[in-house]
Amino acid sequence: MSDPKPPPPAPARPVDGPGSPHDVPPLPGTLPVDPQTLPDPIRDELEAPDPVAIDTASEELKDGLNRCPKCGGTDIRQRPGTDVLVCLYCRNEWHGERAEEAFGFGEGLDSLTGTVMASGARDIDADAASLMSFKCPACGAEVTINTENAMTARCHWCRHVFGLNEQVANGAVPDAVLPFHIRKEDAVARIRQFVDKRRLFALKAFKEQFTPENVVGVYLPYMVVDGRASAAVAGKGEIKTREYTRTQGKDKTTYYDADVYQVERRVDFTVDDLPLESSSERGHFDIRVNTNNIINTILPFDTKNAVKWNASYLAGFTSEKRDSDIEQLRPRLEDQLLSIARAQVEGSIRRYDRGVRWEQEQLDVHGTRWVSMYLPVWLYSFHQPGKNGGLLHYIAVNGRTGETMGSVPVQQWKLLLAALTVGTFLEGLAITYLATMS
Amino acid sequence: MNDESALVLLAGPIGATALYWALYRYYRNTDKSHAFERETTVEAKPVTGSDRKVGTVTGTRARRIAGDNSGAYRARVQRIRNPGQTGAAPSAEDVR
Repeated sequence: MSDPKPPPPAPARPVDGPGSPHDVPPLPGTLPVDPQTLPDPIRDELEAPDPVAIDTASEELKDGLNRCPKCGGTDIRQRPGTDVLVCLYCRNEWHGERAEEAFGFGEGLDSLTGTVMASGARDIDADAASLMSFKCPACGAEVTINTENAMTARCHWCRHVFGLNEQVANGAVPDAVLPFHIRKEDAVARIRQFVDKRRLFALKAFKEQFTPENVVGVYLPYMVVDGRASAAVAGKGEIKTREYTRTQGKDKTTYYDADVYQVERRVDFTVDDLPLESSSERGHFDIRVNTNNIINTILPFDTKNAVKWNASYLAGFTSEKRDSDIEQLRPRLEDQLLSIARAQVEGSIRRYDRGVRWEQEQLDVHGTRWVSMYLPVWLYSFHQPGKNGGLLHYIAVNGRTGETMGSVPVQQWKLLLAALTVGTFLEGLAITYLATMS
Repeated sequence: MNDESALVLLAGPIGATALYWALYRYYRNTDKSHAFERETTVEAKPVTGSDRKVGTVTGTRARRIAGDNSGAYRARVQRIRNPGQTGAAPSAEDVR
């Protein structure tokens, strides 16, 4: 028998130099090798620009002027309650093209792979300014638009109307917009109805200052996401096998026997048009410091009917700017996909009549498609003074479906008094009951 | 005083607290949010999986399994990540 020799030791990891932990990584966007020294096909691939999957920018609107196709006028508005644009000069009307069909957003969910984004959903340039300037081609004046809250402005000399249509830098221009259908009078009526049902315990200052006519139409920024994912969950489930009662003196106690199972479920699914708030302020749902959950509650919108971006739809409305990129929103998307998966598997665990305790979950996101969109909301707000700057209460109306939800500040002492009164009455009843029984 | 009498005497405090919270929620709607689980268009393939008996419980007084979260879709449990999963670096809690 031959003497077994130990295998030679593996070469030690370099303590410094290329590939070691001490190696300084290359700067983002740089290559450690000169592409010019590489073969042509590899060099072409390395030097190709990063692809933008779906280009939704409008060439014809690049100069900021949205011209009437009939007369060339720029004073264009949305006809209230419709998706129709109307030229205020010649009254010509035309319909915005639906983004879903124009860019194929509704297709290919089953084969989504990787991260596909529309050009309006690209990362925001860190040093982009909010103020965008246009040079009026008619009179040469500078027209400035503050993208924090507006997307259109009028040249004060020649009355040309400018809209921000260039999908650049600061993320203010989305891929699509869903025009308002609910008119202001309708929104006012809905807010009034909502508050009328909540007057008794409302804060006195709120009731005194309540003027629903001050409602503001706001376009809020959302990322509308399609996704293809697989999820798996594992846990314990119990099925009741026996139920029996034991009596000790006067007391009866029910006991249960059960079989315990290890339960595992897996589901592959696609989601279509999941909306995520892409303003970090609006996406922050902490009911102790804000009432943003109110605005979230009026989702969903009929995002399939969104039209190609055109700033003329925003004339007369304010808007908020997106400040979150796709990577910042990804954790929330994954959280929601896991919740959807848990809802999907619920139907398959009905036999566990004592319930299931999920202990582990897993998610594989195979592909996502991100479209940046402005969605219409009527917002009525009331600031309640208090600690840490107080609390801003919203009553929000969905600008498409009319769904209304709100937060009405409460007069605490009134509410406490009512609760104590009812509690005292119930306690009186309880004491009377015990007195008559003994 | 027996257990039943003590329960009856709790009617006052329980009733007062329940009324307070019910009215507070009706006004402030702090518990509301978009029900994306039901209101999003989801196309799911048939659910697959396995069920394996691992034990029995006898003589418990609990009507439901401890920690039942089958209806609490948004309560996250231990997340298991694939090492190659995009956008998610393996963390210390990874078990596979």
